Amino acid sequence: MGIQGLSRLIADVAPSAIKENEIKNYFGRKVAIDASMSLYQFLIAVRQEGNVLTSADGETTSHLMGFFYRTIRMVENGIKPVYVFDGKPPTMKGGELAKRAERRDEAQKELVKAEEAGNTEDIEKYSRRLVKVTKEHGLEVQRLLALMGIPFLTAPCEAEAQCAELAKAGKVFAVATEDMDALTFGTPVLLRHLTFSEARKMPIKEITLAKVLDEAGLSQDEFIDLCILLGCDYCDSIRGIGPKRAIELIQKNRSIDKLLESLDTKKYSPPADWPYNDARRLFKEPEVTSAAEVELKWNEPDEEALVQYMCAEKGFNEDRIRNGCKKLYKARNTATQGRLDSFFKVLSSPATNGNKRKAPEKNGPANKKAKTGGGKFKRGK
Amino acid sequence: MFEARLVQGALLKKVMEAIKELLNEASFDCAHSGILLQAMDNSHVSLVSLNLRREGFDKYRCDRNLVMGMNLSSMSKILKCASNDDIITMKAQDNADTVTFVFESPKQEKISDYEMKLTNLDQDHLGIPETEYSCVIKLPSAEFARICRDLSQFGESIVISCTKEGVKFSAAGDIGTANIKLAQTATVDKEEDAVMVDMQEPVTLTFACKYLNMFTKATPLSPQVCLSMSPDVPLVVEYKIEDIGHIRYYLAPRIGDEDN
Repeated sequence: MGIQGLSRLIADVAPSAIKENEIKNYFGRKVAIDASMSLYQFLIAVRQEGNVLTSADGETTSHLMGFFYRTIRMVENGIKPVYVFDGKPPTMKGGELAKRAERRDEAQKELVKAEEAGNTEDIEKYSRRLVKVTKEHGLEVQRLLALMGIPFLTAPCEAEAQCAELAKAGKVFAVATEDMDALTFGTPVLLRHLTFSEARKMPIKEITLAKVLDEAGLSQDEFIDLCILLGCDYCDSIRGIGPKRAIELIQKNRSIDKLLESLDTKKYSPPADWPYNDARRLFKEPEVTSAAEVELKWNEPDEEALVQYMCAEKGFNEDRIRNGCKKLYKARNTATQGRLDSFFKVLSSPATNGNKRKAPEKNGPANKKAKTGGGKFKRGK
Repeated sequence: MFEARLVQGALLKKVMEAIKELLNEASFDCAHSGILLQAMDNSHVSLVSLNLRREGFDKYRCDRNLVMGMNLSSMSKILKCASNDDIITMKAQDNADTVTFVFESPKQEKISDYEMKLTNLDQDHLGIPETEYSCVIKLPSAEFARICRDLSQFGESIVISCTKEGVKFSAAGDIGTANIKLAQTATVDKEEDAVMVDMQEPVTLTFACKYLNMFTKATPLSPQVCLSMSPDVPLVVEYKIEDIGHIRYYLAPRIGDEDN
């Protein structure tokens, strides 16, 4: 999934691009969420004694549970989520998907073995790996979201790419996914762990693309090449080149084409007919619906219809659903807290200037003067 | 070399109390003209701007501009060790990574010094434009603190509405509603006890109680507080610190939502 080892590499080469924040600090922010990723998460994680939750007639409901409660948690914290579902996979992902199918088959075999041996731990482990998201799961969640008044859309192709498009156009503040290739698609701000359970107390990791590029000294095109070298979903990478070599090579050669010219082919052999150019194009011009055509609207939840769907059809507890609805109403009717940075302009972030004690005269105080200069003593009242 | 000696050490203790709840850490920008501090709280809703001019210090020396990133809870622990009548001196070498606080008792029989590590801070600095505000309200600081405290029992936010008659603070919540109206004081005996409203146009804005209550921690610094408001811009709450400078708080208003 995503880009191999990218998050660790960013932590190494551009530590200041990563910030940890509490969920409550994201009030008022619109966030695009990779719904297909969340579907997997919930089907895997929302379980009781190792089994997925089901309604009385045996239909899985883990995903509905997850979407209902985690969405409410975000809304309660003032976040305005918009979910983006995957469309058809790009043809280039065929190889990756085949690999995943292979792994699934393996897990199936292991599961049979574990069942024979009666090893409960293994049964749980492998059954989790067998989780498959079906079209029905997606449709059920979409029905739920519509009733909750939360907007969603289906991407023509990859959800991450569509999320990135919304964020780039300023329709949303950030993209929430665990998939690092959202950055490769050009997402300005990526949030990880947003859809995790509250009980895990995981702080939200905010990764700012501009800071990554700035600190690593790369352009977006070079960054895309770096991601291809690290290993993406669309094509193979060069055997033997790990994250450290990859960034060195890109920083030196500035592109995969140049790098191939000087690469010691005896030591490293790039895949034959390597389609890195196509992968590049997929990252740069992915198939997406233009953000201008997307209209996002958050509506009132339809309480009665929700109760009907979730309780009568899916067997959820009515009190809980009604309670959840109350929270949705309440969050809608409180005014959103504004942020100072939307009123005042950010002048500089001193940390990007390196060690502040080395060059404080140039940065900090000079800016401070410019900023407070007018207001310092003048406004006597 | 940086050195700032403040005979009224209690002042620094009060400043600390006024900012430490809002901020975890902040940079003190020391320059020839004095000490400045600007920092936003974690959620970027409010901003503290502190200004201490060199004239207010008993002795002030700053050879080179210096940015000192301090952990405020550590600094607060250290300042708690100073008595109210102590003389406090802050000292740092150029390019140092520590700052020293020296406390002298009034009769000089006891001198203590504390050294604290500085930290590198990654904080955004905001440019705050000089604005003419539509309403400027001056009132006794204790009165303002009382109003914020009382109203926060009713709801999470306070509506401040200023008209030519005076200023009204209101809150609403599950238990009911609350309104406090202050009229302009007609005859002014002592300026700091008066309520004064200078209004160009009426303004009504909503603010989160939580932050207002944190601002009122500055009440001991000044008998009077000044609130400045204009439609749809942040509120400014200013406390003048006698002879030395001021502390200003900026608070973003709560706004209705256009996408609902």
